[in-house]
Amino acid sequence: MTNWYLIRWLVWMAVFLGPVLFLPWVISRAWMHQHGALIQAGPRSFFAHGELGLLSVILASSVIWNLFQSEFTPHTTSLGAIVLALAGIMALCVWVECYCRQIGQERCDPERVWRDSRSLSICVFSVATVVQILLDRLQRVVTS
Amino acid sequence: MSAAAAALARPKRRVVVVRMADSAEAIAVVSIAFALALIVFPLSLPRLIVNSWQHGHLTPSMIVLVFLLDMFLYLRVAYILSAKPGVGAAICLGSLPILTLTGLAILLERAVRYTISMDLPKLEARLNEEILAHTYLGLISGIFVPFLLIRLLQQFRANPGRSRH
Repeated sequence: MTNWYLIRWLVWMAVFLGPVLFLPWVISRAWMHQHGALIQAGPRSFFAHGELGLLSVILASSVIWNLFQSEFTPHTTSLGAIVLALAGIMALCVWVECYCRQIGQERCDPERVWRDSRSLSICVFSVATVVQILLDRLQRVVTS
Repeated sequence: MSAAAAALARPKRRVVVVRMADSAEAIAVVSIAFALALIVFPLSLPRLIVNSWQHGHLTPSMIVLVFLLDMFLYLRVAYILSAKPGVGAAICLGSLPILTLTGLAILLERAVRYTISMDLPKLEARLNEEILAHTYLGLISGIFVPFLLIRLLQQFRANPGRSRH
């Protein structure tokens, strides 16, 4: 039981990273193999317009849900939820702003969009990972 | 203006415009360092934090750490952009880490009182986890809140033609 709690957050990380990074790459490789096309597809080409921001909000929402299910006090739960929600919204703003600029025929620097969305997504992912570790630690304390 | 006066005039440097991505990188680094420290020292790190909190050293040391980190981050952005640090941003960076972390210290006191009043089993271990979680979230908030406010103020005042989007 103790060992499972030690690695549970690693499994959680793999569950989120797998579908986001590995699955699109595998599907794109399969599509290229089927259609005989030669296209270089990496994370940057998949998320060039800041789509990582949308994934960050989904990730933040799932961790907020876990926080509300936990036995932390309402004070800690609220603080964690606010921090995660703000970080997720900031990441989402990059994607929305890029979309609005494209629609409004304004200048949109793809290099900057990619860099900002990547930084904010890594931020959300790292905060979510630490919160998940803290949740696992509390769960271990409660159930031991 | 004469040609000599124009040559002697200093080039006007624009004020630093921060983006949330600047602070996001710092938050990610702090989070990864905290996670690694928690994995490598699962018992001694929480004990150190709880002892520090019991002696009343936790909040002042967090304020100093966050203040230095925020200043370093802001000056780094100013250096990269070759821009001038703004007065408003300096006021925000000087006051908001103190206000944020003092507010969170009060919140932690309330959370501890709430946990004690619930009379739950394994009370001490639960309190340690609460203090650990608050310490981490306080560090993150101390970096995030000042930069968020600076960004919002700059966005509010920005001329669309001059914004760094």
